[in-house]
Amino acid sequence: MSAEELLNQYGNEYVQALFTTWKLTAISFSAAFVIGIIVTVMRVSPIKPLNAAGEFYIQVFRNISGTALLMLVVYALPYINVVLSYFSCVLVVTILIPSAFCSEYIMSGMNTIGRGQFEAARALGLTFMQIIYRIVLPQSLRASVLPLTNLAVSTMLTTALASQVPMKPTDLTGIVSYINTHAVGGVTAFVISAMMYLATALFIGWVGNRIDQKVRILR
Amino acid sequence: MDHKADVIIELKQVNKFFGEHHVLKDINLSVKKGEVVVIIGPSGSGKSTLCRTINRLETIDGGEILIDGEEMPSEGKKLAEMRAKVGMVFQSFNLLAHRTILDNVTLAPIDVLHKPKKEAQAEAMQLLKRVGVDSQAAKVPAQLSGGQQQRVAIARALAMHPEVILFDEPTSALDPEMINEVLDVMTSLAKDGMTMLVVTHEMNFARRVANRVIFMEDGAILEENTPEAFFANPKTERAKAFLETVTVH
Repeated sequence: MSAEELLNQYGNEYVQALFTTWKLTAISFSAAFVIGIIVTVMRVSPIKPLNAAGEFYIQVFRNISGTALLMLVVYALPYINVVLSYFSCVLVVTILIPSAFCSEYIMSGMNTIGRGQFEAARALGLTFMQIIYRIVLPQSLRASVLPLTNLAVSTMLTTALASQVPMKPTDLTGIVSYINTHAVGGVTAFVISAMMYLATALFIGWVGNRIDQKVRILR
Repeated sequence: MDHKADVIIELKQVNKFFGEHHVLKDINLSVKKGEVVVIIGPSGSGKSTLCRTINRLETIDGGEILIDGEEMPSEGKKLAEMRAKVGMVFQSFNLLAHRTILDNVTLAPIDVLHKPKKEAQAEAMQLLKRVGVDSQAAKVPAQLSGGQQQRVAIARALAMHPEVILFDEPTSALDPEMINEVLDVMTSLAKDGMTMLVVTHEMNFARRVANRVIFMEDGAILEENTPEAFFANPKTERAKAFLETVTVH
């Protein structure tokens, strides 16, 4: 089938799949961002058990494959009576793994902050949480906009895991399998999805660059 | 009259080690209200470390540090409260890179002293005017010269109404032409009665402004005297040798 025929016949499904991918990406990245911040604060806090818990979290979710984690969530969680919808199963994976990377990126952003600024803040009588809230997070987040933009793109690509479970409506990768089991889409069906991923990634990259230019810290 | 009431900083038998290295040896020191005490000595003599132990930016391994007669705790909220009473000006300015000059000065009054924002800003503008950088209030630190940044750092310390300000080599990172603008501000503070402990290599400042000069070497206080007596007639050979290396002929 030609691209035109595919779009005529499966246009609606493609649009639905695109929206599903967008939805998964938006929810996953937002949640990963929040969790990434919390885990980072745990890792730099003066409370030792929190440091250890944060490091453990990072090591686990940075070093597990998405497919393996998805299988665990889908097939193992029901044994402890946690039965999630397929959509939620995918979300768990696409939140947990990017959140570990998010924390790593924020940590590297933190290294750009001069140590003297912490000393000055301590000397002024700011508490740990005030230092985190006033200095560490604003500066490390502003310094890590570009890596976090890459993370948003890679989170979007990770949502392709949705194609591994029978989720309805399915995502941009799942739609290709769907079409190819119902018709002969061949490589063209893939290419259409790929273009949609590409367009989304370019948009994310453009937004990331704009934000970076706006918030970049003059040094 | 209890003369102790006037003592703002008191160090008793303070000792500190960096590993095997004994960096502060039985330091006893007191600074009275309104006094300007200048610490001089060769690099590595422990003078900066001493300055930094006073508000516990460095831990100590023995002895006591009292601020206003109260022992400085080693951590926690109480430490933060007491640190607020002791201003500090650093060699490298350490202004917050992402905030404006005005924000840098108002941050601690708002966050630590819980002043209303308007009031904090009005006072900050007065202080910036006093140190001569009020026209730069809306800029960020990287847009200012070193001398201007250091004057902002002094305004930031003043905004907390500290009982004493510690200066840790405040002019050592500055280009020569900017040193005087910072020293002038410090001199005017001293004239207004601010209690100051200054670690510096600026011998002329010590001569003109200090009430007392402390000479340190190898982590110990070797001499303590009025600037007139110290510079005219140092008692130890080491102080003599040090002064010969720094005096401009």
